[in-house]
Amino acid sequence: MRYYFIGLWIVFSSALFAAPKSNSNALDIYSATDLRAIKPLLDDYRARHPDVQVNYHEFNTLQLYQTIKKLSLDQQPDVVISSSMDLQVRLVNDGYAQPIKDSALEALPDWAKWRNEAVGFTYEPIVFVYNKQAFKGKTIPRTHESLALSMRSNDAFYTHKVGSYDVRRSALGYLIATQDEVASSISGRLQESLGRTITQVYCCTSQILDDIASNKLVLGYNMLGSYSLARAKHDPRIGVVIPEDYTLVVSRVAYISKAAKHVENARSFVHYLISKHGQQVMADKSELIALYPSLDPLTDRLLSIKQTINFHPIPLGPALMVYLDQSKKKRFIRSWENALSPSKQ
Amino acid sequence: MSMISTSYSLRRRMLVRSALLLLIVFVLLSIGAWHYAKQAANYSYDRLLRSASLSMLEGVHVTGANVDIDIPYASFEMMQLSSEDKVFYRVQGPQGNFITGYENFPLPNQSLGKERTLFYDANYLSEHIRVVMQRKWLSEPEVSGWVSVYLGQTLNARDQMRNDILVRSLATLLGIMLLVLFVLWWSINRALEPLSTISKSLFTQTSFSETPLDKTSIQEVAPLVDAINEYQTRLASNLDGMKTFIADASHQIRTVQSATQAQLDIASQSQDLSQLPAHLGRIREEHLRLTRLTNQLLSHAMVVHRGDTRIVEDVNMESLVKQLLTECVRDYAHTEIEFSYHCDGRIGSVQGDWIALKEAFRNLLENSLVYGPAKNQIDVSLTQEAGHVNVIIDDQGPGIPQTQREQAVQRFKRLTTRKEGSGLGLAIVSSVVESHEGRFFLEDSPLGGLRARVQLRVGES
Repeated sequence: MRYYFIGLWIVFSSALFAAPKSNSNALDIYSATDLRAIKPLLDDYRARHPDVQVNYHEFNTLQLYQTIKKLSLDQQPDVVISSSMDLQVRLVNDGYAQPIKDSALEALPDWAKWRNEAVGFTYEPIVFVYNKQAFKGKTIPRTHESLALSMRSNDAFYTHKVGSYDVRRSALGYLIATQDEVASSISGRLQESLGRTITQVYCCTSQILDDIASNKLVLGYNMLGSYSLARAKHDPRIGVVIPEDYTLVVSRVAYISKAAKHVENARSFVHYLISKHGQQVMADKSELIALYPSLDPLTDRLLSIKQTINFHPIPLGPALMVYLDQSKKKRFIRSWENALSPSKQ
Repeated sequence: MSMISTSYSLRRRMLVRSALLLLIVFVLLSIGAWHYAKQAANYSYDRLLRSASLSMLEGVHVTGANVDIDIPYASFEMMQLSSEDKVFYRVQGPQGNFITGYENFPLPNQSLGKERTLFYDANYLSEHIRVVMQRKWLSEPEVSGWVSVYLGQTLNARDQMRNDILVRSLATLLGIMLLVLFVLWWSINRALEPLSTISKSLFTQTSFSETPLDKTSIQEVAPLVDAINEYQTRLASNLDGMKTFIADASHQIRTVQSATQAQLDIASQSQDLSQLPAHLGRIREEHLRLTRLTNQLLSHAMVVHRGDTRIVEDVNMESLVKQLLTECVRDYAHTEIEFSYHCDGRIGSVQGDWIALKEAFRNLLENSLVYGPAKNQIDVSLTQEAGHVNVIIDDQGPGIPQTQREQAVQRFKRLTTRKEGSGLGLAIVSSVVESHEGRFFLEDSPLGGLRARVQLRVGES
């Protein structure tokens, strides 16, 4: 598979003629983050470090993992960013990362860092997204429990009209689905409900959001909160529910390659991501949600209603590798396929 | 006084040596603590590893001929208790076939017997890891054999725990050592305090004083204080003796000198030349007295000094007495004095000072010669009995009355004013005999005069 040719290659430099690969003061970032979402951060970083040539390569989560695994040591990028926490942990475990010696790490919550090598820098709740038009006059399910009940009692309303990630194609979708199983006992029943209503599966968040907006779908299950909330801000057709019984929180994870060619730049970039300033820029200008609650009006708002919402950040650590086990994965995907009997491959 | 080698501080030496000893103890205990810490850390985390691997083994199941594993999430959550460590694993079927995990996971190099659990160390993906192999025997209709789980973990948590334990125990140990050192320092100072108190009080006595040091209640120091006080007392009495001696001696010398002077004056003013030989005779007599007095003073001083310094050698009494007699006989050959000498059998030698002893006996002989009559018989005899040598000198002189004999041995106590005696002779004998731990008797002589008997111990003194 030639995934890394699919990845967009955008060079943030006025010197387009210079050979970017050979530049000694470059910074190669391989990331599974929409460029649109992270651009304000890259722009700001570039403004503060005008001499660094930032090469940003965008992948989807699974492509990114496979690319990194395929590249030889001297081809590794400097920084790797992905919201697929389990794959990032696996890469760190397999020795692709180097320790980040940065005092800013101490301020991070324990769940957002592992071995001082993997660093989470965003706070992205997993939410339900719905079409406001379709739900007019209807009760919007606010917990997993009520969603399962609602789907069971309104087969006609939901059938073919619920979207979620294809866990076989989206690593983030796989992570969320497996963590759903770890975090809650209801996930089995929900999966069954999702299957009965013939849930549509997608590779990417944006496509599901598009289909919800166009009323092709009425509900998106287990959506990435950052993109959904950003879209909801501009698109009045879309509503977002932060489940009240439990809300998984995914953090976008960055690590510095062990074989990074521009270690100093990589360190400065990762430091930027978790620094107060970087987090502030993230909160104010980007679609991403900052990790530090006090900085982001959204997380601030989320925390103020914490009494009713049970945020459940997924902790970085080797436990995330369990569902990456070949046998376990096969088993999980088989049962997922059985439950959802997906019509769309 | 013997030579002092290099001077050193007892306090510093004691402190340095105890500190060195403590240091050695500290090093030994540290090595022990390191081993203990390592063991404790390994023990704890091996148990964690083992529980996790057992939990993994729970997930093994068999469908037909197919062995598969559904890794329980809890097993890895357990591993996450050592939160900073990487985890590697491999699950292997009955034929050693790879089922899941890391395919090139390092296997133990030893061959396995019947054990179900095995711990070993390995290197994987440039990390040091600790591995547990946990297996169970499958006996299904279609598959039988060992299913093994290999679970490896990096050493961060172990190292951290080991260092934690080590740092804590070393800190405690160091604290105790410092405390012990402090207590030692305090007690050494406390123990040496009486020494400095004594020296201080000795220093503050500007000139020689007879006030004794204050008695101490410390039992270990009391003997020292007693010894110093006793020494002081003896020194004081010696000094007193010396003072009296000097006073007496100067009195004696002045008396004789003024007598000589008087005779010289009379002789020089005399007009009668025929009286001159008589005057000269008296001057010569006075001069002889002066000479004898000076000799005796010097010999007394010498004897006392030698007694103080305790010179000890083998003294053959026979040859000493013979030599002395020979000298006397030669000096008095022109007189009518008879000497006789006899000796019973073998006489043992005496431990002592030849010169002092000879001086003592010379004085005894001279006494007999000076105080005896012109026609005198002097018998010298040596006898030995029960470990003692007796030197006996008999004469036919006037003797000393029983009542005055004790007085006679004191310094400057002349019993007569008639002759040229100084009063020192018997005192010299007495102090020599005393310094040789012998005994001195004045008795009646069978010859009619005085018997002087000196008893000395034979052999080792």
